[in-house]
Amino acid sequence: MSRLVVFLLGLAALALDGEEHFFDDKVDRGCHGSRLGQLAPANFGVGTARRRCRLPTMSAGFRDFLKQLDDAGELLRLSKRVDPRHVSALMAQAPQATFFETLDGYPDWRAAGALVSTRKRLAIAMGCPEHAIATRFEQGIQRPIEPRLVDRAPSQEVVWTGDDVDLTRIPIPMMHVKDGGPYISATVVVSKDPEYGRNVGSYRLMYRTPRETGIDLVSSSDMRVYYQRALDQGRPLEIAVAIGTHPFELLAASYKAPIAVDEFAVAGGLHGAPVELARCRTVDLEVPAHAELVLEGELLPTGWTADEGPFGEFSHITGEVKWNPIFRVRAITHRRDPIFYVLQMPWENDWLAAPVIEAAGLQALRAASVEPVAIRAPVGGCCYWTLVASIKKRPGEGKNALLALLSVAEVKLAIVTDDDIDIDDPDDLDWAMTFRVQADHDVLVVPGARGKHIDPSVRAGALGKGGLPTTAKLGIDATIPEGVPRSHYERLRYFAKDAVRLEDYR
Amino acid sequence: MSPLARAIVAELRAQPCHFGELVQAHMDAPWRDFLHAWGEVRAAEVLSRDDAGRYLVTASPSPSAP
Repeated sequence: MSRLVVFLLGLAALALDGEEHFFDDKVDRGCHGSRLGQLAPANFGVGTARRRCRLPTMSAGFRDFLKQLDDAGELLRLSKRVDPRHVSALMAQAPQATFFETLDGYPDWRAAGALVSTRKRLAIAMGCPEHAIATRFEQGIQRPIEPRLVDRAPSQEVVWTGDDVDLTRIPIPMMHVKDGGPYISATVVVSKDPEYGRNVGSYRLMYRTPRETGIDLVSSSDMRVYYQRALDQGRPLEIAVAIGTHPFELLAASYKAPIAVDEFAVAGGLHGAPVELARCRTVDLEVPAHAELVLEGELLPTGWTADEGPFGEFSHITGEVKWNPIFRVRAITHRRDPIFYVLQMPWENDWLAAPVIEAAGLQALRAASVEPVAIRAPVGGCCYWTLVASIKKRPGEGKNALLALLSVAEVKLAIVTDDDIDIDDPDDLDWAMTFRVQADHDVLVVPGARGKHIDPSVRAGALGKGGLPTTAKLGIDATIPEGVPRSHYERLRYFAKDAVRLEDYR
Repeated sequence: MSPLARAIVAELRAQPCHFGELVQAHMDAPWRDFLHAWGEVRAAEVLSRDDAGRYLVTASPSPSAP
């Protein structure tokens, strides 16, 4: 795909309402006169000034996305005062994303959450139809765009250092009943290694004290490698945590790019424009200049020694207490009128995984020389453990496709259908599995594959400390069996259906 | 320790609690005050966990605790 198409996709991401979208309104982005501190609650600081400064000179930000949701009728505004302890419960009851205009005890802050808690809202963030999120993601990651360093950062309009550093000044909400504490979920965490360079990931930070959090660094990741290398040398690892960025930064942060790949360049590819970065104030790192909030500090060289959790996991169940490093905060910077992004677990975590897993499924199918038509990572499988794909099948390719899909990450259930099945329709899928599957021929079980701790069925508790779980994988070939004519699957049609219209008989 | 932090320690000495249960018991305190108090309890290094992830206090706060 050409760079022009990437640009157009990025443009579409910012103009879903079909109207020409001007970036004049980025008054806080350095291309216009300052209007900081005068933002009306209704406009998130975008969309008023109408001076032309078009994409792709800069990537879209968190507030642009809020405006897109608002324009699409997907943002519920709550103007009444809300206790941060009730934020998550209210978000869970709202059919839309939720914007909290007044927070009890936090007069300078607003909050927003559940922004990508549905496939529809994820598609809005990605500027594409719901069925196209995987291909949209693929196109973005194939065209990385290097980030750009800027001098002026809205994320540093207010700087707290020294005695002013106090995490209780941030409206960190309660989330689930059995959580071990309130935590910050929408993180874009930046670290650097002398050999490998910059890394960007997403890790939850559970509040401990006004200057310390834990960091959920249990799973294997590049930053875990960085931290281990620092730990081996007895030194802390500096990190910076940006909160309140566009979902593309979160997607890039959660994408397992090769260790030498800069995830900010991946985010740039998704945006179709460079991500603007600013140098941190107290650590040698760069963060998205337009983030709402940034925490700067270091992971103490104490190893995995601090109890953290339980967390409500993206598997929709409560995890176990973990042993994690401690993050000591050295500085807090934020916008003058900050909006705290509450990434709603598990739904936003699930949906942010969907394009990554679906794109990996597409790549696996193509590598197996199978032509995919559609692919889904359904939310019932947490957009992670299950893949359903329809293919243009040649003999034997139902099985080839299953083997390919089951090779993706920790996918443990794969279903393959022909291209006449609407894989978004559960009834159509059931029909295919009922009439195109013979269990002794078309069901594949792969034992002993890599599993994940938070799947209770792998019985990780029996493994002992440090044990890695395995899982059995299940594949169902719901394509028309070889040797059965396609005509045997011709659907019923009603006589004269096209000759008469119900409207004419009302 | 603040009175609120002392109250939390006393509750956890009496029985293990999930964090959410502690929060529920102190909804009358502003959230920020509660978080400050929780930070004091954390810093005192008196917390343990049971198998269900609940907090409990089995030790006494150190004299140097804030």
